[in-house]
Amino acid sequence: MAGCSCGGDCEVKLLYACSGMANTGMLADQVWRKLVRDGNGSGACLAAIGAGISGYVQSAQNATRNIVLDGCMVACGAKIFEKAGLPYEHYVMTDYDVEKGKTPITGDLIEAVAKRVESLINERTKA
Amino acid sequence: MKVQILGSGCTKCKLLEQHAREAVSELGIQAEIVKVMDTDAIMEMGVMMTPALAIDGEVKSVGKVLTKDQVISYLKGGK
Repeated sequence: MAGCSCGGDCEVKLLYACSGMANTGMLADQVWRKLVRDGNGSGACLAAIGAGISGYVQSAQNATRNIVLDGCMVACGAKIFEKAGLPYEHYVMTDYDVEKGKTPITGDLIEAVAKRVESLINERTKA
Repeated sequence: MKVQILGSGCTKCKLLEQHAREAVSELGIQAEIVKVMDTDAIMEMGVMMTPALAIDGEVKSVGKVLTKDQVISYLKGGK
């Protein structure tokens, strides 16, 4: 469950990843897992939002921030949120020197991209 | 009709349950009010913040203590 529970006033950040089939989708998934592991928010299920599962949709509606990681500019994650009429922040893996279908996904790359995305998430927290 | 109150059992969860009971009573409908306190069961429904209210398996609200009138609106089929 998200860090904040029982109607508290603290910030609830939910993180989602596209997990698509290309290298970029795999990167989005791995970066998402690292961000969740490192305590940047609670992991939530993008597919469940797409499927319209009420608990997930309501949770997204009431979260302070929904952070969507897409692999590429096809932006399936963002489109799912738009279709559902839910607010979101968007990060796309190809914005971080990663080329779809070409760049190998290594542990170092996952670390580096996660660090960059984490810092952008934290900047918005301060703003 | 089945009304589920999802939450750990804290004060806010109890308040939501109370409002749900008042709403059911005011409408004079037959409804079973069930408390769901198991975290895994709550997570399985996709609820990330409690208290939450579900009616016939559909989650209507999360992270809020709905008023009695808000619960009445959901019981009447409102969104």
